[in-house]
Amino acid sequence: MYVRHIRNFDLVLLLTSLALVAYGIILIYSGSLPSYESAAETLANPVARQITFAVLGVAVMLLATRTDYHLWGYAAGLLYLLSIATLLFVLVLGDAIYGSRRWIEIGGTQVQPSEITKLALIIVLAKYLSDRQERLGELKVFLTSLGIALLPTLLVFAEPDLGSAVILLAIWLSMIIIAGARSAHILGLAGALLASLPFILIALITDYQRERIQTFLDPESDPLGSGFNTLQAEIGIGSGGWFGKGLTEGTQTQLDYLRTQTTDYIFSVLGEELGFVGAMVLFALFVVLLLRALRTARLCQDPFGRLTAIGIVAYILFQVFINVGVNIRLLPVTGIPLPFISQGGSSLITLFIALGILQSIRIHQRLRPW
Amino acid sequence: MRLFRQQQRRWRSPKSEPLSDAERLRDKFFYFRLLVLTAFAVLTLQLLRLQVFEGEAYQQRAENNRLRVVPVMPSRGLIFDRNGVPLVENVPRFSVGVVPADLPEEKEEPVLQWLEKLLGVSPADVSKDLEERRSSNDPYTPLIVKSGIEPEKAFAVREAEAELAGVRLVVEPVRRYGGQPVLSHILGYVGQVADYEYEELKSKGYGMNDRVGKSGVELQYEEVLRGTPGYRQVEVDASGREISTLDSSPAVPGNSLVLSIDLDLQQKTAEILQAAMGDSLNAVAAVMDVHTGELLALVSLPGFDDNMFTDITEEQFRALLDDPRKPLVNHAISEVYPPGSTFKQITASAALQEGVANAGTTITSHGSITVPNEYDPSILYVFRDWSALGTLNFYGGVAMSSDVYFYYLGGGYYENGVELFRGLGAERLAEYCRRFGLGRPTGVDLPGEAEGNVPDPEWKERELGEGWFIGDTYNFSIGQGYVTTTPLQMLQVTAAVANGGHVMLPRVVREIIDPAGNTVVPFVPRVTGETGVSDENLSVLREGMRQAVSWGTATTAAASSVSVAGKTGTAEFGPDLGGGHYATHGWFTGFAPANDPQVAVVVFLEKGNGAKNAAPIGGQILNYFFSRKSAG
Repeated sequence: MYVRHIRNFDLVLLLTSLALVAYGIILIYSGSLPSYESAAETLANPVARQITFAVLGVAVMLLATRTDYHLWGYAAGLLYLLSIATLLFVLVLGDAIYGSRRWIEIGGTQVQPSEITKLALIIVLAKYLSDRQERLGELKVFLTSLGIALLPTLLVFAEPDLGSAVILLAIWLSMIIIAGARSAHILGLAGALLASLPFILIALITDYQRERIQTFLDPESDPLGSGFNTLQAEIGIGSGGWFGKGLTEGTQTQLDYLRTQTTDYIFSVLGEELGFVGAMVLFALFVVLLLRALRTARLCQDPFGRLTAIGIVAYILFQVFINVGVNIRLLPVTGIPLPFISQGGSSLITLFIALGILQSIRIHQRLRPW
Repeated sequence: MRLFRQQQRRWRSPKSEPLSDAERLRDKFFYFRLLVLTAFAVLTLQLLRLQVFEGEAYQQRAENNRLRVVPVMPSRGLIFDRNGVPLVENVPRFSVGVVPADLPEEKEEPVLQWLEKLLGVSPADVSKDLEERRSSNDPYTPLIVKSGIEPEKAFAVREAEAELAGVRLVVEPVRRYGGQPVLSHILGYVGQVADYEYEELKSKGYGMNDRVGKSGVELQYEEVLRGTPGYRQVEVDASGREISTLDSSPAVPGNSLVLSIDLDLQQKTAEILQAAMGDSLNAVAAVMDVHTGELLALVSLPGFDDNMFTDITEEQFRALLDDPRKPLVNHAISEVYPPGSTFKQITASAALQEGVANAGTTITSHGSITVPNEYDPSILYVFRDWSALGTLNFYGGVAMSSDVYFYYLGGGYYENGVELFRGLGAERLAEYCRRFGLGRPTGVDLPGEAEGNVPDPEWKERELGEGWFIGDTYNFSIGQGYVTTTPLQMLQVTAAVANGGHVMLPRVVREIIDPAGNTVVPFVPRVTGETGVSDENLSVLREGMRQAVSWGTATTAAASSVSVAGKTGTAEFGPDLGGGHYATHGWFTGFAPANDPQVAVVVFLEKGNGAKNAAPIGGQILNYFFSRKSAG
């Protein structure tokens, strides 16, 4: 069994993720210089914290690697209910930051339950869909799976966290396609959604969302107010050029023109200081990571494992796309961390658990006949 | 997805076998890989656009963000009296400003609360102003939240600058005038650039919060006093804190003014005038060096405290504007009045020069002359003298200020249509007025000067659409009717009489010196016109004016320290108060010493009598000037 472990362990996946985390730590170091003045302070604070989380994350990942991923399936219902409960708790009692409630305090650290919810949804959907392999063509199964995804989506949307809501739906969609739902159902849902879009917009889009969309369309309309982040991030990235201004040399970064520059806007630090080339290195790492993860899904013969893996791929892919898209003004502002790169424990540990599950899928899939 | 695939296949070979599950799954994974690559391709394309194609534009914007040009204000030039007494100083004043560009709206609340706690300013008001400034084209200039705060509070602000975004302690030099309200009209004051001025001043390098001269020499000599601003190019962070200075050029301090005004004489003049002005709304007294045009004293009452304008409120300013005494107006130069008998200096000069009269010309005043209506001789117009003064020669006419004597000189005398005495006529009189400088600004180096009016038949036809009558000439001859002058114009006239006929440019600034005290622009007396009246003729008039003080109407102007020559005036103005009585302005103008004139003086009282009220003031001023001179 140990021989199999080593043979099937995806070393490339691990190394890419570690490379990403290291890349992130470098950027966090540079991005936190303006707030911490001296390098020593920076090392003592955000960088040290991120390293701690990374070490913790790798440990958790190894643990998840060793654990048979089927175990997650048994705990799926519980995980799901727990995450719904936390989301409700956040909505009622969470700390509002930048106009939305996303965090809860646990033992002095802020935990963002929407990150863990994503993983919980992946597992619960994988369990639900794989248990109904033969009935996937049924509308009832299709709608139930949608319902399972919609509940946390709406709760997250109410925080409001549009980005996470979109990601949850993207996870569901990816999984239902791979699971083998009927195209008619998917297209029907898309049609219904399109038809009711105007009502949804009126009913669900709050002033907060509307302002963000307005800002996206025309950040110059309020360059010092709501458009500030968008505009300054764009200026930072654009001014980076081919090779960037050099690590810790970015004027936008170091003179504090970027906000949340170690978390949601960390890509701007990269864009400004390391330029187009630096961004291509990042993209290459992500593409390798995602293709490796996709390979795990493709090679997996067990529907539960396959669905879990594809869910994780969707989770990381959309998270990256939305985060970078917001940074380079392809998408309206929504606070989503950049996987493995952004400062933040909740996201990093969730991601490492996800990677552990992927490894576990590779190692444990043949152990159980089905 | 499966749908499209099937259709495609069906189109190619309608009878093909349906795909197996494994095949379908393989297709789907193929599309997922494509999705991953497409997603990053899209991101890459946008990055190419931003970083490569538009990179330079963004680099420029990043530079604009980080670099700011901060003006370095020069210290404003000072003002001294002619003896070197400083009249104004620059003192620092502390204000609290907020840079709108550096305070994003979402960070506003704690800052506004802090400001309210320290200064008691309303957060709502500040927030509104900030919003306005943010959308203006100059969000980097601090919005002044409260100006003139105490040093302890200034210290608190300085300490808070590091923590509160956008908050700045603004230290600006302001003018503190040496507590001599008697100089307020001459010095003027400095105030913040007003909205309506900004457009014009912007091109000269003024900023929104800059201060600029608003009146007096502060306005007239703004370019001299201001100096040249320097600048510093600094690197700033997003909160506007300066990180480093990259380039700078020092400010060049403004030059200073040395006034021709003698502070001591100015104060004494104001004191004498104040004590004697009675219930006059306004009073003016001025002293001029007859040879150079330098004004040694120039007082207009009431004055105001120029220091008020550093932090004047709307109400205070309104009160000054609405005050019927018009304290902000310099009545010596900005208001015109009928000059009354002081005008006889011009009639007399013209008559002598034109040969209408000489020292021996005698005319008898029976107390009035009458002129019949041109069309209805039964209607008689009566032109009164102030008394039946009897037969007077030229000296007597001037000394006693006989109106009839001057009616003759100006308009001639007719009986039953026969000309018994040929006068100057309105045109010639008007010509001499212009030669003496009336009807146009004197050119004194103070803003807001009035022109006055020199009437003649053409003017009357043009302005009033009426013909000119002999009575108009009579009124003109004694400084009544349509002729108006400023007190300063009459002083210029008297100085010309005293100095042999030269119309001198009156000046309040003697010279311009640099901060080290070196003369930049020296004083050079300037003549703006010649009267064309010979000194011989003027000496006759001067003798008449000397006699007016020694035995005539102006005896109250006599001084113990010097021999004074002068001319009183009691000019009617306003509506008929009944029985041909009018309210009168009191005038006196004269010079001393009578035989070797050095200085001329003019006194004007808005209400009063020339001999009774104005002449004594003139006498006291001249007496003080010469007694001090001999003592010193």
